[in-house]
Amino acid sequence: MERLARAYEADADLRRDLLQEIHVGLWRSFSKFDGRCSLRTWIYRVAHNVGASHVLRWRRVRGQELIGLEEMEDFPDANNRLQATDRSHALDRLLGLIQRLKPLDRHVILSYLEGLDAASIGEITGLSAANVATKIHRIKNVLARQFQQGGADHE
Amino acid sequence: MNEIENPVQELWQRQPVEGIKMPVEEIRRRAGKFERKIWWRNAREYVASAIAIGLFGYFYVTTHDVLSRVTFGLFIAAMTWIVVSLHWRGSAKKLPEGIDTLTGLKLYRAELERQLDVVRGVWWWYLAPLVPGFVVYTIGYGWGIRHPAGWAGLIVMDMVVAGMFVWIWKMNMKAARCLTRMIDELKVAE
Repeated sequence: MERLARAYEADADLRRDLLQEIHVGLWRSFSKFDGRCSLRTWIYRVAHNVGASHVLRWRRVRGQELIGLEEMEDFPDANNRLQATDRSHALDRLLGLIQRLKPLDRHVILSYLEGLDAASIGEITGLSAANVATKIHRIKNVLARQFQQGGADHE
Repeated sequence: MNEIENPVQELWQRQPVEGIKMPVEEIRRRAGKFERKIWWRNAREYVASAIAIGLFGYFYVTTHDVLSRVTFGLFIAAMTWIVVSLHWRGSAKKLPEGIDTLTGLKLYRAELERQLDVVRGVWWWYLAPLVPGFVVYTIGYGWGIRHPAGWAGLIVMDMVVAGMFVWIWKMNMKAARCLTRMIDELKVAE
C-alpha cells in the first residue's frame, strides 16, 4: 500500500493522508466484497480508485497536466541511463514517470510493476485483454528506453 | 502473480518503505477536536435542561391542579436524570499528556466507544424518562376535554411529540454510524 501511495502522491504528508484514506476505503469496502474476484484484486482495485480520486482532486489544485502511456513512449531516451549503483536515482526517476501518468495508465503500470499478470490487470482495471497487452507492451518499451536493462538489479 | 521478470519490477518491489502509521500528534489533534465537540454538545444540553427545569419548577409552584403538578414533577425528575446521566456517561474526556502512539490510539478509541454507547442508548437515558410526564400530561389534558376538537388537538400534540422522539432517535443513530466509522478507521491505524 505504501508503494502504491508513493506512486500517487509525492508529498510525504499528503502521502500519509492518502495511505490513511486507502486504509479507510478498504475497511469500508470489505462489507461489499462478494468473492467474485480474489481479495488481492479487490484490494488493488479499491486502493487504486482512492489513489485516482486523490490524483484528480489534486491535479485541479496544482494545475498539473497528466499524460498517457502513448505520449510517454515518445519521450526521448534517457541520455544518462542509470547504472546499477544508482538505485535511489533510478527509483526517483521511475516515480517521476509514474506520477506524470493519467490514473488509468498509472493503474496499469503499477499493477505491472507489482508483478500482476495481464488477466489480473484486466480484472482490476476493467480493460480488455488486448488493451492490457498493448499497454504492457508500451510500458516495457518506456522502461527499456528510460532504464538500463539489467542495470537496476545489481548493487 | 508473475515472477519478477524485469529489473525495473525488481527495483519497484524491493524499494524501502517507511511503515507509515498514524502519528501521536494526529491522534491528539483528532481527540482534541472530538473532545471539544462533546463538550459543546453537553454544554448545550445542560443549559437547555436548566432552562426547562426552571420553567417546569415555576409551573409546579404556581399550579394547583394535582395532575399538572405530577406532570411537571415528572418532567423535572426526567430532566434531572438526563443531566446526571449525560454527565456520568458522556462527559468529555481529555487525552493525557506524554503517551505513546499506541496508548493514544487505544484511549481515543475507548472514548469513541464510550460516546457510541451514549448515543446508541439514547432511548433509555434520554427519551424514556420523559415518557411518564407526557403520559400523565395527556391523561390530565384528556380528562378536561369537553369538545371533540379538544381530542383532535391532543392527538396532534402527541403526534408532534412522538415525531420529535423519532427525530432525536434518528439523529443519534446517525451519530452512532459516524462514530462507528471513526472507530473502524482507528482499528485500521492500529
